[in-house]
Amino acid sequence: MHRFLTIAMLVGAASAAVDTQAQWVHYPTAGIPRTKDGKPNLYASTPRTPDGKPDLSGIWEANREGGTGVSFTGGQLPPLFTNIGAQLKGGLPYSAWGRDLFNSRLADNSKDSPDAKCLPIGILWLHSHISPRKILQLPGLVVILYERFTQFRQIFTDGRPLPADPEPSFFGYSSGKWEGDTLVVKTIGFRDDLWADFAGSPLTQYATVTERFRRPNYGNLDIELTVDDPKAYTTPWTVKLNQRILLDTELLEFICVDNEKTLPHMVGK
Amino acid sequence: MKNATAILLSLGLIGVPVTAQWVHFPTAGIPRTPDGKPNLSAPTPRTKDGKPDLSGIWDVLHNRPCPPEGCPDMFIPQEFLDIGFFLKGGLPYQPWAAAIVKQRMAENRFTDPNAHCLPTGIVRMYTTPLFRKIIQTPGLVVILNEREVTYRQIFTDGRPAPLDPQPSWVGYSTGKWEGDTLVVQTTGFRDGLWLDANGSPLTESGKITERIRRVNFGTLEIEITVDDPKAYTKPWTVKLTQLLKADTDLLDYYCVENEKDGPHLVGK
Repeated sequence: MHRFLTIAMLVGAASAAVDTQAQWVHYPTAGIPRTKDGKPNLYASTPRTPDGKPDLSGIWEANREGGTGVSFTGGQLPPLFTNIGAQLKGGLPYSAWGRDLFNSRLADNSKDSPDAKCLPIGILWLHSHISPRKILQLPGLVVILYERFTQFRQIFTDGRPLPADPEPSFFGYSSGKWEGDTLVVKTIGFRDDLWADFAGSPLTQYATVTERFRRPNYGNLDIELTVDDPKAYTTPWTVKLNQRILLDTELLEFICVDNEKTLPHMVGK
Repeated sequence: MKNATAILLSLGLIGVPVTAQWVHFPTAGIPRTPDGKPNLSAPTPRTKDGKPDLSGIWDVLHNRPCPPEGCPDMFIPQEFLDIGFFLKGGLPYQPWAAAIVKQRMAENRFTDPNAHCLPTGIVRMYTTPLFRKIIQTPGLVVILNEREVTYRQIFTDGRPAPLDPQPSWVGYSTGKWEGDTLVVQTTGFRDGLWLDANGSPLTESGKITERIRRVNFGTLEIEITVDDPKAYTKPWTVKLTQLLKADTDLLDYYCVENEKDGPHLVGK
């Protein structure tokens, strides 16, 4: 019970203000394909940019179907939020070092979770976060605007190589290119102490993350994640997740630090 | 000296690494002089629809002389400390606003939201000596801020400003073109914002108009009008200049990370 409460508090710290998103911004999304009865046709064909590539632009929400666990306000958590390896037979292939770190984070009641400390949670965990994100696809650049902490991520698609010695960061350095209708994004340059999910699966500076983004129709975004991190895992592993379009709304402002009072209470065991 | 350190501490300006040490990627489509340097006085670039393209990475104009002990890592402009620095007679504060500015300065600015890792708001973001990247798309202008890796959206798709916006740090911004000037109106601010490090207030009754003009390839001029009858006796207008940073990109800057200053900010 104590542990459950702590987890609820942690999720609550970063999620309480989010479940009720989109209460005030009602502005019609332009260009929605509609069925005969006037409802948005989420199965309409994939929109495309003038150069013929699929257009990933839109506001997206993590699909919560099949998820386990509930957030502070009672909403179901998306499938990979708590455990990014939930789809993998036998779970994540932790290295001995990775398992020890994971276990110590669990044993500590996740008190060092970046989510609880108002720090960025990194690109993997953000894909299954319950707050929406807006993708802007531009020539040479894809930007993801996250509602969570009002932060953004850049994915360079102008053909630049990945830097040889990137500055370690929460989001890493991302470069993407199209393979047919799939945007393939490689990211390196992570810090050594990242969390790949809520439970605390590690991600280190040795990681290369490959994301394969595909918009199979108007209303869905499929993302395949491959993590190759020889420090934390014995083999590369791949998981899939799905996001759904959110229409006629906008991102809200979400500032974790504002009137933040929970941190001193995060003391572990 | 001690006082200068205290001010810098309270401004959150100590311990910040010099920006742009590692990202060197040539900016595409930049006009260059015969010796290969960016030609910052080349004509204003334009989007396909003929409007000026504000896109680019922008830095503050460094118009403040360095203090005797040397320039800090983060080289603030005059308007960072006092947004009305170049305004004749200064800002037209209401009496309570003048009193609170006096008090905030007397207290070494220890309640400054900036020093507590809170958002700076849209005016102060322009005077913060970290880079901003403007992205201009059809219907939307986005400003990506190096500070806190945050963004601001300016809707240019013709939508009206909301009647009863959710009060926020950045407000709700809509913009439209008047000739070559992007005119942005913002309302919906929360109470308690600081427009500068001296603590000039902005309240929920504030309306801000920005007139943004890219006068040539390398220069952005932003005329800001603040109409906030609760805090000021009349609307006032200041003009900020931003300079293009070529061949680089934004870095991460997180105030919250390993933050230890907060408990030491106690005023006098």
